[in-house]
Amino acid sequence: MKIALLMLAATVPVVAQQTFDFKSLEKLGAKAKDSTNISLEGDTLKMAAGLFGEDKDAAFVKNLKAVHVHAYEFEKEGQYNQADLSAVRAYVKSLNWAKILDVKEDGEFTEMYGQAPHDNQPGGFAIITAEPKEVTVIFISGSLKLSDLSKLQNLGVPDVTGSRSSKKPEDSKKD
Amino acid sequence: MNLEDDLRAALRREPAPPDFTAKVMRRTRVVSIWHRPVTLAIAAAIAAVAILPPAYEYRQHQRALEAKDQLIAALSITQTQLQHTKQKLLQNTRHRQ
Repeated sequence: MKIALLMLAATVPVVAQQTFDFKSLEKLGAKAKDSTNISLEGDTLKMAAGLFGEDKDAAFVKNLKAVHVHAYEFEKEGQYNQADLSAVRAYVKSLNWAKILDVKEDGEFTEMYGQAPHDNQPGGFAIITAEPKEVTVIFISGSLKLSDLSKLQNLGVPDVTGSRSSKKPEDSKKD
Repeated sequence: MNLEDDLRAALRREPAPPDFTAKVMRRTRVVSIWHRPVTLAIAAAIAAVAILPPAYEYRQHQRALEAKDQLIAALSITQTQLQHTKQKLLQNTRHRQ
């Protein structure tokens, strides 16, 4: 009986790492002045993709399986705890995605992970960035080429790549 | 003779009680088909079948539009973040050189 319980206890963390509740990241933004919480997957993502119709520039959207974007901007430094990012970092690591970027400097870090290609299609990626007054977690599962993102302008999205401050949409989505 | 008296007494005309007519009418009244509970239930079901699907479809469409906006915002933020990461990486590389 004890052995069975020990085996069960050993299995639980492995199973728990296979899923992650991205909404749990929202506590990071409790003191944020600007916050964006977007979690799309399953039927909701399919519905959204369906609205792009036969638009070739948006065809890539149909290959996405999950899109989670959580971005918070703070008034002052030290308004969030970097330790709150450990769960999402552990989750991404548990997926065995390749770490393709790891920049650390002055107490801030940026990590980027890439999902392995599947059927000659690129996988998704995850970016976790922690800066003194800003924290961003992006998790995109499915197939997405970086060049696909440049097609966004054809979908009516303004090019904001040059301006860091205009990163967040005016109407921050709070779930 | 007693028998005749008994019959006469038994068959003598008696006036109906004052509420007799009302009682008879109440018992024999035909409930209009439109006032029967079954009819009302069927009518409500038909109305629900007619109204609910379009309302549901409308709600789904609204949800899809909302999700589409969120998806565009998410991809836009991703694009910006990638650009920012690239700049950071370049700065870091230059710093080391």
